[in-house]
Amino acid sequence: MTEINIQKLTQDIIAAATGAAKGHAADLKQYVEAHARIIADGTKQIVSDRIQNKITDDDLRFAFDQIKESEATSLLAIEVTLKAAAQDAINAAISVAEAAINKAVGIALL
Amino acid sequence: MIYSRLLTASVGAAFITSCAAAFVAPYDETTDRLLTDLSVKTETAIARADAGKLSEEDRAKFYDEALGTVRTMNRRSSLFAKNEDEIKAVTQLEQRFVDLREHGSSPRSSLATGLRATILAVQQIQLAKKRTSVFSAGLKKSG
Repeated sequence: MTEINIQKLTQDIIAAATGAAKGHAADLKQYVEAHARIIADGTKQIVSDRIQNKITDDDLRFAFDQIKESEATSLLAIEVTLKAAAQDAINAAISVAEAAINKAVGIALL
Repeated sequence: MIYSRLLTASVGAAFITSCAAAFVAPYDETTDRLLTDLSVKTETAIARADAGKLSEEDRAKFYDEALGTVRTMNRRSSLFAKNEDEIKAVTQLEQRFVDLREHGSSPRSSLATGLRATILAVQQIQLAKKRTSVFSAGLKKSG
């Protein structure tokens, strides 16, 4: 049985957890940008259609209400992404700690 | 930074948790495939509506099929534990289709912006779950 190097273990856990969450963070950035583009393009289209009388004032209010309603789903998407990132980061950290214990005791105990 | 905050939480939690953490339901390929199909059909209907080529009959058929797909997704999502957020999101997606249909106009780009944003949000949920499933499989393999 060997001693665990706490400094190295801490660094390994930090690296594993950070690495696990990084992919989700990149996805989230992409999602927020894509979402912003949809809203910006849609807003432009609403104004353009109204100017050209392709839609009515009632349609314009409806379209804007629908955009506001969709923000609740956007919040859910962000929440799920954060939960998934936390899940991966925690499991990566546990995996590193498990491996350190198994190595220290010399058998695959966990 | 999102991941530095997550990291602080994860390091602490790692030492008080003795088994694998599971906060989200596993990725479901069937739900993702249904969503992709729905997205393609929706964009096709919007393009036809913008071009003035979506007849009233086609519109009615589009809404019927879209609602059938969303309701199928909802029932499938309800089969998995820890899937409450996705169920809520899919229910909200169903409401966007119902609202558009009840408004009685063609699903033009201008009127379907909220619907498009909602579909994108549900797609992001699938992406997050897929990334986690791939990551978990990798951990199991290396563990």
